[in-house]
Amino acid sequence: MGPEGFKLLAALFYLAGAILALAGLRWASAREGPWPHVLLGLGLTVHSVSIGVHCARSETHFFTSLHESLWLFSWALAIGYLVALLGWGMRSLGTLLLPLCVALLVVSMLSKEPGKAPPAGLASHPLFSVHVLSAILGYGLFLTACAVSLLYLLEQRLLKRKVFNALFRALPSLEKMERAETLCAWIGFVLFTVAVGTGATMAKSSGQTAWYFEPMVISTWITWLVFLFLVVGRASGRLAGRATARTILIGGALVVCTFLLRHPFREEHKTTGRAPEPAPAALLLNPAEGAP
Amino acid sequence: MNRPPCLLVLGLSHRTAQVELRERLAFRAEETADALHRLLKATAANEAAILSTCNRVELYLSGAVDASELDARARGFLAEFHGLDGALRASLDGALFAHHEGEAARHLFEVASSIDSQILGETEIQAQTKEAYRLAAEHGAAGPVLRRLFERALALARQVRADGGIGRAQASVSSAAVQLARHLFEDLRGHRVLVLGTGEMARGIVRALKNGGVADVLVVSRTLERAEEFAKHEGGRCGKLEDLDAHLAAADIVLVSTAAPHYLLRVEHMERAHQARRGRPLFVIDIAVPRNVDPRIHELPDTFLYDIDDLEEVAEEGRRQREEVARRWAPRLRQEADALLHEWRDRAPDEAAKELLKLAEALRGTELERLRASGLRDPEALAQLERALERFQGRLLHGALAALKEATRAGDGATAAHWVQRIFRLGAGSGAHDAPAEAPPQQAAEPERNEAASDRKAHAAVPKSAS
Repeated sequence: MGPEGFKLLAALFYLAGAILALAGLRWASAREGPWPHVLLGLGLTVHSVSIGVHCARSETHFFTSLHESLWLFSWALAIGYLVALLGWGMRSLGTLLLPLCVALLVVSMLSKEPGKAPPAGLASHPLFSVHVLSAILGYGLFLTACAVSLLYLLEQRLLKRKVFNALFRALPSLEKMERAETLCAWIGFVLFTVAVGTGATMAKSSGQTAWYFEPMVISTWITWLVFLFLVVGRASGRLAGRATARTILIGGALVVCTFLLRHPFREEHKTTGRAPEPAPAALLLNPAEGAP
Repeated sequence: MNRPPCLLVLGLSHRTAQVELRERLAFRAEETADALHRLLKATAANEAAILSTCNRVELYLSGAVDASELDARARGFLAEFHGLDGALRASLDGALFAHHEGEAARHLFEVASSIDSQILGETEIQAQTKEAYRLAAEHGAAGPVLRRLFERALALARQVRADGGIGRAQASVSSAAVQLARHLFEDLRGHRVLVLGTGEMARGIVRALKNGGVADVLVVSRTLERAEEFAKHEGGRCGKLEDLDAHLAAADIVLVSTAAPHYLLRVEHMERAHQARRGRPLFVIDIAVPRNVDPRIHELPDTFLYDIDDLEEVAEEGRRQREEVARRWAPRLRQEADALLHEWRDRAPDEAAKELLKLAEALRGTELERLRASGLRDPEALAQLERALERFQGRLLHGALAALKEATRAGDGATAAHWVQRIFRLGAGSGAHDAPAEAPPQQAAEPERNEAASDRKAHAAVPKSAS
């Protein structure tokens, strides 16, 4: 079986998990048993195999095109869900994250845009793989925190409106969700800091410091600052409840913004001086840049 | 009486009798042993168990007696035991219900699963059912039929509780308050409850919250003595009303229940506390009528105010859920009861054959012992005698066992088993249960019967589910 076959299989496992999670919102019995863990475990394993097979077969480099970025991004989201599921048993989170994983994989399968080969200098940089993996996993955890924050605000709304329906009963406590979103944001922030640091180091070594002021890179910096504000606010006890959830959602919107700047609008770095090399900031979601 | 042993439940419950009559018919734990022995004697049943709770008194009987006869005897026993006559006896007859065979099994399944309870899904009935069986087994009144029945009932009760979610839905105002608190706070242990006022209803909610894990309860009242009494009784500490802002800033759950005719907690209080709380959610329960908390505080961020009507709505929703579970499980419980009845009928010939062989072996052993005791010491003579008795036993029982086998093949095994049990006086009804207490111990036939009865007692172990 090729990587596309494994990808399809992973999407099917995620789809089954999403259906189960949706059923859990209506029926209490659907929230029992080990099936969410089993389906996610199978999906994630097959997904990882598909990425591994693709990397082994690829002649250029991994994850340079839109379909490759979405492929890796959905894998990071599935890992984020795994963290939430194992850490806090948040099965209801599957209703948001698993359909998103499926959608990303489906778009990835439909998109035929070929990947570009990155410049040899960047691909062989010792920090390159660390930069790519930490950035993708950081984004995955940020979006997981966003999904938890959405559920948090939803439950707050239900509590305020005094709606005691099946959806209300299926949601975990506000306290648990606050802990989950904070820890996901913390881990994501650490990974994202590693990604930004390695990216800045690589940009500096390429002599392309002007890239720091480009919209896509500025969006990246603002994202980092928002999450810095969040972790400091939580650690000092100045940020809690709805404010935490809203801050995370702002950070999540910036993550999506950065991604949109890179892919649909295809923003490229303006190179100056010596031979152009891919900008690290651009690699946060799409790690390997093609030669101009 | 050409019929296999029947199963009967005779009793009354909150559905059929007022509390006065239920109180009158209740069996105290210390009188259960005596009641069981008198019940077995009065009804000539093989097995009996008494389930007596505040909402029901039920007699479970199994015996080789005609069902209507068993019913009449059990009614007589209840009236006699509790000394009812005249009008009370008439009201007893009007309040009693009786279920036979599969219906009796289904009834116990519904009772143990709390589907038949006054508060649907309550947890105590499962333990009470287990205790009823334990007492019956301990006093030698329960045999294989009731053991299997109660085992199955308790197993099904666990399934209903685990699978149906009947225990998750909250059906009282106190438990609704705890359920809502658990939607805000994952673990109530580390959270502080501030109690304003010392109303009776507040006690119930504080107890429920403490059962839910809350350890820190601060009681504030205009009357210090009342606050102290409340705190002492419910396990908390007292605070001053003057420090209300500080108490609000530190609390996670605020329970308000005073007799004041105006708002005690206003938006200004909460806004001042909000500064210090820094976004920590606050759950406010106002069970006072007229209300003591300004409803506008519900509009403040991270503050959730619920009054008595809201809690009642949550409880009502819980009750609806439990009813849905009960409806869903009713057909399954009926199927299980039918299956159990078939199982008994299929097993009856086997059980009868085993009992018959056991009785014969016991008789043979007793006779050999008697011979040894009378001075016969020659081992060869004893061995020959033993072999002779074995051959005699085999020839004597061959006809009965073959008849059981043939009847089972013909689909009439239960009736044949019943006749074998009657002819050879097998089963609990012929044992110690109905043996009169004043019977002389030296009677020739009694040792075997008592031996068989003690063997049955050993069999009547606590169900696997209960142990």
